[in-house]
This record gives sequence, structure tokens and C-alpha cells, in this order.
Amino acid sequence: MYFSPEENSEVRAAERVINGAAVKLRGIGKTFGERRVLKGIDLDIRPGEFVAIVGRSGCGKSTLLRLLAGLDAASEGELTIDGSADDVRIMFQDARLLPWKRVIDNVSLGLTPAYRRRAREVLERVGLADRERDWPSQLSGGQRQRIALSRALVHSPRLLLLDEPLGALDALTRIEMQQLIESLWQEQGFTAILVTHDVQEAVALADRVLLIEDGAVALDLDIRLLRPRERASNGFSAYEARILQRVLEAPPIEPSVASHDARTPGIAHISFAI
Amino acid sequence: MSTQTSSSLPHLRQKLLPWSLPVALVVLWQVAAQAGWLSSRVLPAPLDVLKAFWTLAVSGELWRHVLVSAQRALSGFAIGGGLGLLLGLATGSWKRVETLLDTTVQMIRNIPPLALIPLVILWFGIDETAKLFLVSLGVFFPVYINTFHGIRSVDAGLIEMGRSYGLRGWALYRDIILPGALPSILVGVRFSLGFMWVILIVAETISAQEGIGYMTMNAREFLMTDVVLVGILLYALLGKLADLLARTLERVWLQWHPNYQSR
Repeated sequence: MYFSPEENSEVRAAERVINGAAVKLRGIGKTFGERRVLKGIDLDIRPGEFVAIVGRSGCGKSTLLRLLAGLDAASEGELTIDGSADDVRIMFQDARLLPWKRVIDNVSLGLTPAYRRRAREVLERVGLADRERDWPSQLSGGQRQRIALSRALVHSPRLLLLDEPLGALDALTRIEMQQLIESLWQEQGFTAILVTHDVQEAVALADRVLLIEDGAVALDLDIRLLRPRERASNGFSAYEARILQRVLEAPPIEPSVASHDARTPGIAHISFAI
Repeated sequence: MSTQTSSSLPHLRQKLLPWSLPVALVVLWQVAAQAGWLSSRVLPAPLDVLKAFWTLAVSGELWRHVLVSAQRALSGFAIGGGLGLLLGLATGSWKRVETLLDTTVQMIRNIPPLALIPLVILWFGIDETAKLFLVSLGVFFPVYINTFHGIRSVDAGLIEMGRSYGLRGWALYRDIILPGALPSILVGVRFSLGFMWVILIVAETISAQEGIGYMTMNAREFLMTDVVLVGILLYALLGKLADLLARTLERVWLQWHPNYQSR
């Protein structure tokens, strides 16, 4: 059975309001000194689409997200987001809450006082309305990420970027957070781009999974599973296995390329030790 | 009934234990003075010191000296600390200002302020300006260095987050950079409050017509050891008071910090 991308998006459009931003990348490259981290990336992301980017550490997936967030500038190519900088919000792996602001003030960061009511509503939506007067240091890791998510959503972004936000959480909290992100995405209709090293998470959440290898898109796969997705289903496992196999097929990135990892001791060190 | 006393008694003992040694020493001192083992010129009895304190307090002389000293200390602290804060903020925030000023400041910092006393006397004579200058100079460096260090050590991830959430200029400064630097700034304030008294004591013993330093130097000339001791105790009390003030500031401004959260 075959769905064309147009049909596919029409089905979703019937279910929910889409006000996400479209993203277009043409020949995007990024170089840090001698190292080419990204090369010639072409990508079209439709409004309201949920895209997951997977890949080994050091493949350039986080760099791509930083370019989309405007935190770094591309070395070459053209990047268009149909919206202003205010329409884009990023959620980091570490929650990056301000320790000197109470929960409610963290969520209303960058908002005028008139919008505090909205901050309270979003806190209620993520189930932490009763913690609004707490300091971030009094919260658990999962709660902190929920606050960080509220802080991003209070601005009603049209493009939400997620940089491995669940990487440090325990398995149970992680699944809860995934469900929360999915339902908020369905309610608010933003475009979401999630960077993750967890293939299961990618298949659970995304309409489309991109595999980045050695700075280029190596696989671009639509996930045609109905939501909410059953992790135990055959279809789910098939997608997961296929992506995982493709990731493992590629040789690991050579130590010289991923020099900042530097886990393998150099030959110079060994001879020195003798 | 017995359970109640047995549960509160160890608690009380725990609280009193740190004070047992000082109290024992004072008692020993009093006994030694009364028995005539200690000459009252070397060390008058604690009760005599207390009496001297009382006489000075009742006559109002004590408060005049304390007021003058406190005024000197606080205005010196305001000038030196204020300049240190402003300059530390400037060098911490702008690379260009740092290149311009930091080397100079670091060079001057290594001169002990008290080594400048002869020069200060030549410049300002022996009046109020000299004392104000010395206190300001001594207070300046701890505040400057800790402010600079505080601004520099603000988590870069938080600043990046703030920028990506649309904070620019003053808003970024107010919400992220200043609060992030505050713990370090307060360390500088606390340190310089202690240093403030050290400088003032020396400045006041050199030359003054009023102030605690003058009171003790004057008493020394008339061999009134009890008044000298009153002066020393006053410095101890005022130092403790300054420390208490700094701690209160920390408790109020750093209540978000896990280290300052009372449980």
C-alpha cells in the first residue's frame, strides 16, 4: 500500500489545526576549523510535521539543530524558516532553567507580566501548577524538563526544536514525557524537530525519521503508523529494526574525525608509556 | 515529664558547648585578676572592663566614637565597594575594557593599602580624606575581583538560552548575568567588610580626633588599659555585626541557592 506525502498530510490536517512553520534547507554545510561537520544538506520539512533526527554521537545532528535555532550560522547554503525568530523555540538536553527564578518566573521568561496567566495555564497543562512557587533546585530531572517544555510552549512556537531533551531521564519518566510532547504537538500543531540517539523514541514520535551519517542525510524514512503508537506492534518493531540496522551498518566514525571524543589513546601516548 | 527533659537537655547542651571554653577563660581571667596574679595595667579584670564600658556608654562618649568610626567605615565601603562593583561589571562584561584596565588594576592590587600610608599622609594630610581614601582602596579590590570573576563564570549555556528566548541588552543582564554573578559578588562584599575594619583601625590609630581608634590610643597614653580593651571589644562586635549583615544579604538574595535554603 502506498500513501503519497500529500495524502498523508491531508489525513493529519483533518485531525488537528496546523500552524507550524515550513523549513527549507538547500546545500547547508558547517565547518569548524578544518572539520566539516555538515555537508550539502537539502531538506524540506512541511508545516506541522514531526521529524526525528538520529545518528551516532558526533555525526552532526546537534549541529544541524543549532543552525535551525539560529545559535550558530551555517558556513554555506541557504536556510529558510517561514516565520520570525520568535516563532522558533529550542529545548536543550539540560533543562537550562534559571536557578534564581521560581518555576513560574522561569516559564514567563521574556514575557510581559500580562502573559503570566498564560504561563500558569501551560504549567497546569504539564501537570506542575502546584510547583509554581518552587525553586528549580527543588525539582526532579523530569519535572525540570517539563518546566523547560512549558517555557518553550508559552511562546506558542511554530517550530519547536528538541535537542535530546529526554536523554538524561529514567525509562519511565521518558515514556511519560514522550506522551506529553506528542499530545502537545497534536493540540498546538507546531512543527517539531527532535534530535535523539534513541531509535525507539524516534519511531514512537516522528512522522519522519532522518538518519545523519558523516554530516549528510543517509536515510529519510516516513513512519506510517497510526497514533497513539503501540510499541509492541509488529509495524513498530519493523521500523525500529530497519533504522537500527542501517545505523549499525555504517562504520563508526574514525577517531581522527571525531577528535573531540579522543577516547582511543594515540600512538604517541603508547610509545611514551613504554 | 522525664522524657521531655531528657529530649531537650542534650539539645541545650549541644547549643551551650561551644560557649563553655570562652566562659571558662573569662572566669579564669576574673579570678586571676582578683587574686592579684595579673597586674591591672597588663590586663584589667573583665568586670573592670565592663565598668569602663558602662561609664563610657552612660557619658555618651562611647557612642560618639562608634558613630564616627561607623560613618567612616560605611562611607569608605560605599565609595570603594561601589567603584569596585562598577569597574568589575565593566571589565567582566566588555572584553575591550578588560584589555584596557585589568593589567593596571592587577598591578595596583599587589600593593598593600597600608604601605601607602606615608604617601597618603603627604597627599591628604591627616584629616578625614586620608582615612576615607585608605578604606575605599582596601575595600575596592575584593569587590572588584569577585565581581569580575562572577560575571565571567556565569554559565554560558544559560546566556545562550536567554538569547534564544529573545532576551537582549539590559533584560539579559538583569535576568541572567547579574543574578548569576551575585554569589561571587557577595563573597567579595563579605570579605571586604572584614577588611574594612582592619584598615580603619590602622588609619584611626595613626591620627584622629574622634573614633574608636582615637579613643584607644588616647587611653593608652593615660595607661587606661580597661578603655583600650573596650575599644578592642568594640571592633570585635562591629566586625561581627558586619558579618551578620553580609550573611543576611546572602540569605535574602541567594535564597534560590541550595546552600542557603534552610530546612
